[in-house]
Amino acid sequence: MDSTDIANLQGYASFFMTVFLVIMLYGYIIYLYRSEKKGERDYEKYGRIALDDEIDSTPVEDKPASQRYKDEEK
Amino acid sequence: MQSNAALEYDYSLAKKFTFLTILFGILGMIVGTLIAAQLAFPELNYLLGEYGTFSRLRPVHTNTVIFGFTVSGIFATWYYLGQRVLKVSMAESKFLMVLGNIQFWLYFIGALAATVSLLLGFTTAKEYAQYEWPFDIVVVLIWVLWGVNMMGLIGIRREKALYISVWYYLACFLGIAMLYLFNNMEIPTYFTSGGLGNPLHSVSMYAGTNDALVQWWYGHNAVAFGFTVPIVGMIYYFLPKESGQAIYSYKLSLLSFWGLMFVYLWAGSHHLLWSTVPDWMQTMGSAFSVVLILPSWGSAINMLLTMKGEWNQLTDNPLIKFMVLASTFYMLSTIEGPIQAIRSVNAIAHFTDWIPGHVHDGVLGWVVFMIMAGIFHMAPRMFKREIYSKKLMEAQFWLQTTAVVLYFTSMWIAGITQGMMWRAVDEYGNLMYSFIDTVTVLHPYYAIRALSGVMYLTGFLMFAYNIYKTMTSGRELTQEPQFRTPMA
Amino acid sequence: MFFHWLEKNPFFFAAGISLVISFAGLIEIVPNFAKSAQPLVDMKPRTVLEIAGKNVYMKDNCMSCHSQMIRPFKSETDRYGDYSLSGEYAYDRPFLWGSKRTGPDLHRIGNYRTTDWHEAHMLNPPKIVPGSIMPAYDHQFENEADLDTAYAEVVTVKNVFHTPYGPEIKKGQAAWDAHKPKVLEDAKKIAADMKDERVKSAIAEGKVPEVVALIAYLNSLK
Repeated sequence: MDSTDIANLQGYASFFMTVFLVIMLYGYIIYLYRSEKKGERDYEKYGRIALDDEIDSTPVEDKPASQRYKDEEK
Repeated sequence: MQSNAALEYDYSLAKKFTFLTILFGILGMIVGTLIAAQLAFPELNYLLGEYGTFSRLRPVHTNTVIFGFTVSGIFATWYYLGQRVLKVSMAESKFLMVLGNIQFWLYFIGALAATVSLLLGFTTAKEYAQYEWPFDIVVVLIWVLWGVNMMGLIGIRREKALYISVWYYLACFLGIAMLYLFNNMEIPTYFTSGGLGNPLHSVSMYAGTNDALVQWWYGHNAVAFGFTVPIVGMIYYFLPKESGQAIYSYKLSLLSFWGLMFVYLWAGSHHLLWSTVPDWMQTMGSAFSVVLILPSWGSAINMLLTMKGEWNQLTDNPLIKFMVLASTFYMLSTIEGPIQAIRSVNAIAHFTDWIPGHVHDGVLGWVVFMIMAGIFHMAPRMFKREIYSKKLMEAQFWLQTTAVVLYFTSMWIAGITQGMMWRAVDEYGNLMYSFIDTVTVLHPYYAIRALSGVMYLTGFLMFAYNIYKTMTSGRELTQEPQFRTPMA
Repeated sequence: MFFHWLEKNPFFFAAGISLVISFAGLIEIVPNFAKSAQPLVDMKPRTVLEIAGKNVYMKDNCMSCHSQMIRPFKSETDRYGDYSLSGEYAYDRPFLWGSKRTGPDLHRIGNYRTTDWHEAHMLNPPKIVPGSIMPAYDHQFENEADLDTAYAEVVTVKNVFHTPYGPEIKKGQAAWDAHKPKVLEDAKKIAADMKDERVKSAIAEGKVPEVVALIAYLNSLK
């Protein structure tokens, strides 16, 4: 395989990888908006994590205590 | 965990790294101002003998502001906001505290020693990766310590969902780790030659064009993961918290995060300009960079929209001013970069002062402003005192903003002038200017730039003084402020 | 579902980031490696003295103001000579292309500047080029070039990267002692065209000032 083959291969690989990643990205956008529209998720509630960040404030999504202990032992 | 009632966030590490941020900031900016002045007034090269020339000091400036100032700023803010968004205190784990302290001292001593080594002329010559191999090992150790600490804190968190800022700090950790490791692959010559010569010396694993490719893949993306990603992480926490407004759109932040991860890869493609890879691939790379600039602007727009309906805060809270200006400069430099990556523009801009101009509207306007804003926000919480002077903050803001504008406008003009003069030909096709003509013409712009350096440095010293006075004589606070930072 | 799960799992989240960011490196850099590493036909690697000079170039950071990369534009080839080819850099560790031209490109400076020009210029740049903002490098006339390290580097690139040096380049002090007279001989030839008294007396004592090594290196840039 000489260098032009490698260069072409490189070109094709980057093209298809880019297309693939663009599809993933736009798929993600559609997924985000659709799941919120259907009411499956409320993404915006996570924005509160920054505002309500005292150590004794209630987490937006609690990590169960049992899991916390397990992680700590590790 | 019944003792939680008395539990508090532990800011000791955040404080320590804040001190280093200020210390390295002052050092790095003094050197930066000096070398800017040297270009306008060459006599200034002879202040420190062999150690005072522009050439010897330039890497000292760049490495001190990158690995000294910015990285301590990243650590300081992480050890502050990391705890808060994960709702877990560092004090809950002795192990993490010990690790953090080892990281701090290793970092402090390592950074000082590495700076001295650059002054003495030990360098691998690769930009922003100049440290010789022993210092590289220290850098890697520090980075691993930080990574373990971050993962550890995430492991014991109470908040299950990871806030936006955490993603960015994670990406910063991973990106820099990968880039730094690959670019600094080098072989110490002492051990392979049977013990000859200086033990500090090494040769790069890569040669010539390959070395250049790896270096600029590093060089550009180190900017991405050191100067953009963690700073975006900061603004995602500090702006909502300071203004009391939740982030405008969490979904947009998700998109811009993955978009940014993706865009910066392609920023690397402008290193293939004028090379032998197929033309259509170069063109495609440029095109996608421009298309995908949208996610990169997403963050900045998200910030501005967060302030929707709250713009009055801009006039009465100088901290909000700092952050809004920072995101504006972020937008400016992220549009400027792709413009410079266009082939025909690059042909003129490359090798000229437009490039340092571009770097500095990003770092002075965005990185430094954001880190200072972060520290202003953290200071009353860490020291339990009110900010010493609001007036001083206002004055500093305007002084530094003027300085940044002077800096980049003078460098834009200087860069384009020089780029055009290099290629100017007369009616017979002969070059019109000798090289030295293109140097002497820049004198006024270099002088303006040096002035802007003095102004910016003065502003930073005002900042340092303000923080110092806050620590020592600010009015004491009985309760931690929730949103807006109290200032006298 | 997949994405939502990702945002809660730091480990896989990190893995996802790593995957996305390593993509550019894999596509853009790795495939070029073999091709870019080819030297030009008959190209000789630099001598020990020239490597010592390259290390002075690095130590005093000449690349913060000078490039070594002539781009394929007429304005550049008119000014500096033929445009640079990838193969010419095949033995350069590290590459020294630079990223800023505060001063002119140096990739072919050996073609149009001489030893005595460099000597006078390093002592006082504005005297030779009126208006120059380059500082003088007087200390290069005082400091001794680190030949030991240069030799160690040559041995390393020969043994590890198979850079084509002759059989006399070998590991260890004995081989270096045997090769050193050759290096001093090269230095003497450069110094013969120089006037500075400090250089003359150092060479007479069997020492090589940094500036001599540097000029040997600059002369080799063609």
